[in-house]
Amino acid sequence: MAVAVHRASSAHRAGKVALYAVLIVAGMLAALPFVWMITASFKTAEEIREFPPTFLPAEPTLDNFGTILGDPELPLITFYRNSAFVAVLNVASTLFTSSLLGYVLAKFSFRWRGAMFWFVIATMMIPTQVTMIPGYLILVQLGLLNNLWGLVLPSFFNAFGVFVMRQFMLSIPEDEIWSARVDGASEWRIYRSVVLPQLKPALATLGLLTFMFNWNSYLWPLIVLTEQDKRTLPIILYWYSNEHASQIQLVMAASILMVIPVLIVFAASQKWIVKGLTLTGAK
Amino acid sequence: MFGGRDGAQKRFVAATMTPAIVYVAIFSLLPIVWAVALAFFDFSPRRTGTPFLGLGADNPFVGLQHFKNMFDFSADAPLEVQQFHIAVKTTLIFAFLVVPLNLAITLPLASMIESVGRRSRVLFRTVFFLPVLASSVGVAIIWGYVLHPQRGLLNALLTKLTEDVTIVSWVADPSMVVVGIPVALLAILTAYLWQDIGYNLVIFIAALQAIPDSVKDAALVDGASAWQRFRYVTLPLLKPAILLTSVLTMISAFQVFDLFQVMTRGGPDDQTRVLTLDIYENAFRYQRMGWAAAVSLVLFLIVFLISRVQARMLRVEWEY
Repeated sequence: MAVAVHRASSAHRAGKVALYAVLIVAGMLAALPFVWMITASFKTAEEIREFPPTFLPAEPTLDNFGTILGDPELPLITFYRNSAFVAVLNVASTLFTSSLLGYVLAKFSFRWRGAMFWFVIATMMIPTQVTMIPGYLILVQLGLLNNLWGLVLPSFFNAFGVFVMRQFMLSIPEDEIWSARVDGASEWRIYRSVVLPQLKPALATLGLLTFMFNWNSYLWPLIVLTEQDKRTLPIILYWYSNEHASQIQLVMAASILMVIPVLIVFAASQKWIVKGLTLTGAK
Repeated sequence: MFGGRDGAQKRFVAATMTPAIVYVAIFSLLPIVWAVALAFFDFSPRRTGTPFLGLGADNPFVGLQHFKNMFDFSADAPLEVQQFHIAVKTTLIFAFLVVPLNLAITLPLASMIESVGRRSRVLFRTVFFLPVLASSVGVAIIWGYVLHPQRGLLNALLTKLTEDVTIVSWVADPSMVVVGIPVALLAILTAYLWQDIGYNLVIFIAALQAIPDSVKDAALVDGASAWQRFRYVTLPLLKPAILLTSVLTMISAFQVFDLFQVMTRGGPDDQTRVLTLDIYENAFRYQRMGWAAAVSLVLFLIVFLISRVQARMLRVEWEY
């Protein structure tokens, strides 16, 4: 009996070891491209041209980062500011319009409510490729080409956000709303002091997802922004990688400076992002 | 008194919904209607049309001509039609490879990650989830470097393993084709899987954690092996999650743009030309917006039909 238990536990232990071994190998494989990028950014121009390439830098240097930070053609602060302008305004407007319309669609009854909600869901199914051509022509008419507002105005209202907020609102009881009404609070006040506080967790998740989506967005900014100093980070990164294709160490250092800082913020808040993705099936 | 309250509510709904409706009409409804209209015109923004949306005059109405051209499979079909055929084929191959490969990686990986301790679980999840959070342009640039013929990691590893200098041009050599699938497409597929698996992984881990321990323990007491437990207990319980993620994975696989645009721009020889890239190039590089709009409607139709089929599968599953 004792022998059997011992045998079972050692088999169990062997299984555990195998499990961890597989996971560690898979994890290292997944991390490898990132590591390859990071080590390259510390290599000298001579070392990057060696064949076969080295894995770890022989003489680690910070020169590549210095070159990029001192490059007058690459004012990183401008591009960070452009990206932040678009992302912050889109987060603010999305949170405002989604919570307000989600609340109205969930808690008020009026004519066309069903049709409005159906339309919101329908627009989520239309691929960007369909609406981007007329969207571009509309921006031309509005004179917003090459203008960061051209990335903000069309996404002032976000169908996905409205949908999420409306679903979340349905689960919130109406007692407090009604008692605030009896107390004589105005409808705007009820939205602000009764509804918004209850939406906080959903707003945090929606805000993070919206920020991430806008920060990494590529196709629409590529169409709208053609002047260099108006561009956002992903487009600049692509431009830089083409411009310096033969100096990979610089491209990798630039990638690190443009991608990693915000990636760390996202990774630190991944609990909320994961919650949002698993609850809503957003993609 | 009560009527006054009711009036306040009506005013509130009117004050919020009116701007919303106006906005949606301009930025959601108009683009959809306009895109459908464009598909019936030979429209280029370089030419002047009538004041009505620039349609007509030098941008003539061509009726169903664009859609008829799509079925021109002759050898002397216009270049954009031939490229459209390539794009449809490439997009379908890509999307239908992504889904099974993604599931084949994420399902076992999720159940492995779910079974380790809490701390290790968070660590492993973070490693696989990081690429989901990264900008896809960054992902494309990193993979371009991993696959670089002379300086890349992959060729370096192959050189070391085979002890023979290996210089393979993974994304630029049109002669490299494996069972009819261009290697360049497989290279982008690899980068996309790397970027995307973290998403489904997170969904599956959450679904696995929702399975009550009592169910797993019962199978364990009955003496089921690890494989039997996965096959007969976990898998059936995960079925709704698997169907949902395969719908979402397929829909987003049809709409991948960034990786293709940055890594290959459709090359070599149009081997990685997908519909999203075809639409972008026609609309904004060659200014053939009427044709591009028609192609975009085809993309919409494909995505719509597939999501209908999969939604039906989901409903059947729920009834069962």
